[in-house]
Amino acid sequence: MTADPFTMWHPVASAHDVPYRHVHQAQLLGRELAVWRADDDYVNVWENRCLHRGVRLSIGSNDGTELRCQYHGWRYANRSAGCTYIPAHPADAPARTICNRTFGSVERYGLIWSGESPVGDPPTVDVLEAGTPFGLRNLPVNAPVSLAVRHLQSHRFAPCGRLDAEAPSMTVDGVSDYSVTLTARAGDSQSGDSQSTVVFFVQPVDSARCVIRGVLADAPPAGEQLAVWRHHSTELDQLRTAIEAEAASMPAPEPMVPVLQQVPLHLAEVPDAPAGRQPALRVQVQRKWGAAAGVAAFELAPLEGVLPTFQPGAHIDVHLPNGLVRQYSITNGPGESASYRIGVKLEPDSSGGSSCLHETVREGDVLAISEPRNNFPLRRDSTRTVLMAGGIGITPLLAMAQALDRMSLPFELHCFVQSAEHVAFAEVVDGLGGSVVRHLGLSPDETVAEIRRLAASYESFSNLYVCGPGPMLEAVRREASSAGWPDDAVHFEYFKNTNEIDDSSTFEVALARSAMTVTVPAGATILEVLRGHGVIMPSSCEQGACGTCVATVLEGEPDHQDVYLNDSEHRAGDRIMTCVSRAASDRLVLDL
Amino acid sequence: MIKLYDYVLSVNCYKQRLLMSILDVPYESIPVDFYPGWEHKSEAFKKINPLGHIPVIDDDGYILWDAHAILVYLAAKYDPSGQWYPAGDPERIGETASWMLFAEGTTNTASAARLCVNLEYDFDLEACQAGAHRLFRVLDEHLWFRERQGLDWVCSGAHPTIADLALFPDVVLSEEGGISRMDYPALRRWTDRFRRIPGFVPMPGIFPPAAVKAGSPD
Repeated sequence: MTADPFTMWHPVASAHDVPYRHVHQAQLLGRELAVWRADDDYVNVWENRCLHRGVRLSIGSNDGTELRCQYHGWRYANRSAGCTYIPAHPADAPARTICNRTFGSVERYGLIWSGESPVGDPPTVDVLEAGTPFGLRNLPVNAPVSLAVRHLQSHRFAPCGRLDAEAPSMTVDGVSDYSVTLTARAGDSQSGDSQSTVVFFVQPVDSARCVIRGVLADAPPAGEQLAVWRHHSTELDQLRTAIEAEAASMPAPEPMVPVLQQVPLHLAEVPDAPAGRQPALRVQVQRKWGAAAGVAAFELAPLEGVLPTFQPGAHIDVHLPNGLVRQYSITNGPGESASYRIGVKLEPDSSGGSSCLHETVREGDVLAISEPRNNFPLRRDSTRTVLMAGGIGITPLLAMAQALDRMSLPFELHCFVQSAEHVAFAEVVDGLGGSVVRHLGLSPDETVAEIRRLAASYESFSNLYVCGPGPMLEAVRREASSAGWPDDAVHFEYFKNTNEIDDSSTFEVALARSAMTVTVPAGATILEVLRGHGVIMPSSCEQGACGTCVATVLEGEPDHQDVYLNDSEHRAGDRIMTCVSRAASDRLVLDL
Repeated sequence: MIKLYDYVLSVNCYKQRLLMSILDVPYESIPVDFYPGWEHKSEAFKKINPLGHIPVIDDDGYILWDAHAILVYLAAKYDPSGQWYPAGDPERIGETASWMLFAEGTTNTASAARLCVNLEYDFDLEACQAGAHRLFRVLDEHLWFRERQGLDWVCSGAHPTIADLALFPDVVLSEEGGISRMDYPALRRWTDRFRRIPGFVPMPGIFPPAAVKAGSPD
């Protein structure tokens, strides 16, 4: 009875084949793989083709956290293989659904194991568990696995310590479809018996190709290792000559044709967006620590699987134990995908969000969060990028700064804080070196003067990003505008919308695609009324700050009350934040 | 200034550009219309090199042809460290000569296969590919054992030589000739190391490397 090789684990590389900053090219059962070790030691096993044009990712570059395709620079994140950046669309965040195919990976006995759809865990081998496994040189063979396994059963080698033994006695200790275990013994009246056991795993590369990966059960002493490697390499080379000679005399089998994955149904179809703010993920607070005076930081790790890919500037909704929902930016650098790190400032007049996180949530607690959304995307084609952070507003900008730093793109990160103790995530900020300027203890007037100085001149291809308290954002927008910065070069993210919302109007909303007209009465929002009629709308902050519930306006004049769109976007009148904004005309037609 | 009779897609011309960039030697590139013009076979060019080959260098009136000979000359004359052509070390100079001859083999197989595929040369493509695989098996094993001894390059010692440089473009462009390097992981790692040498310059089909991990030994 032959087991299905597609449900088994197979070795695809030796541990030394995946040094840092290298991409190993492998193949298993006809499918090509790109295998790479990130700086956090996670070994990624991916389909060896870029989703864009099918170029092999094994010629790409491994920058320690992301793999960059050599042709058009698409970047894919460690672990999740989600696309984080498309250079041809520098102003946009790639869709979260652009994600390369990944395969499981386990490091065991000095080998990297993977499989198409492996069941259970990679095999455990008693003799290797009990010993000190020592990898031999891999031997690629142009022959089917079955032929290599048959020849291996009559393979001969000398035991360690007696490499000169003329006629070692060989025993076959075990044979499976994909491995052979052999022991060599040599007797000597003076020094007694020497014996060595080798497990030969055979990787099925394709129907007519395989790789023999030998693992010696017990490592020889350091002084003898080179001689042992040489001995096995020579003996295996002879074995290969015999195997390939026999293979050449047989008809070549048809190559295996890997099945390229179709786009999964849940991505191909229009998804059922949640009717309200429904959390998609459950995470555990792995670590909680003080990231600055008054700032608690949280490291949120997935309960199972890997977290979705995020882009710099992205935020998540955090659903709190007290029922409130709050938005926090992901501060991680590129490819730091094992957990999300957020920073929460305790607001003195907290309505229960920051105080709950500070006082109630502890390490080990489980929280529900949304998938990351990016309504504050970073352009990476600027000649000058200015990041201005007011206090805890540094959080999205920290992710941006780390992404720019990793790509060696120039930037300035200006931190406006009360004192050095108020710089959140100071160790990360310090790591950004000379690109950081700390502005400590400035009065409001001094802050405005400094902003005026920093934004004094605009040159083409410059971009300014600001996140902080409302008055600071207003100052930046005002100063940049009067210094000639166009609206589309000034990007901002408000903590919250402090405008007083006027919801006294009553108007009609027609949905062009749904052929439906509803009335929005005073005291209700467009979002609430549409949801009440069964229309599925995403949302996040529900106060006009985050941009998630945007709708396109086809006719009518919006009454903008949000702080997400900029002034020229407000004037254009072609988009509306349905959670707070209303109609100045009697009727709005939305593209819904 | 050195004049290099040059063609952008020629591996043998690239070897000269690469060494002069690494050694920081200024030179003037004189483009030769190799394909499709066959200018190197013209009567005018045969007055420079009667064999009708590129590259040729003209170093202030001193004319030299044959790619690997030019590497020897440039390294001997312009490398003050004496490492790229280790003339003072008989064992290493012997190894360098041996692997330079091996590189003639990779040029005549791997790079010849590339000329068949890219520039319509009429060689026996399958024979070129099979020959390249035979040499790559030897080189991969050699480099694997070098790595086990903490050595990065084809010859002994801690510094690369013109033998690495002569082999590098033939190896790294082999896929253009239909020769996969999947079976040669040690050879693939060596190409990453070579691309991190200060002064490295790419050519069409050869990409710059990823940065090394901070604090890592290589």
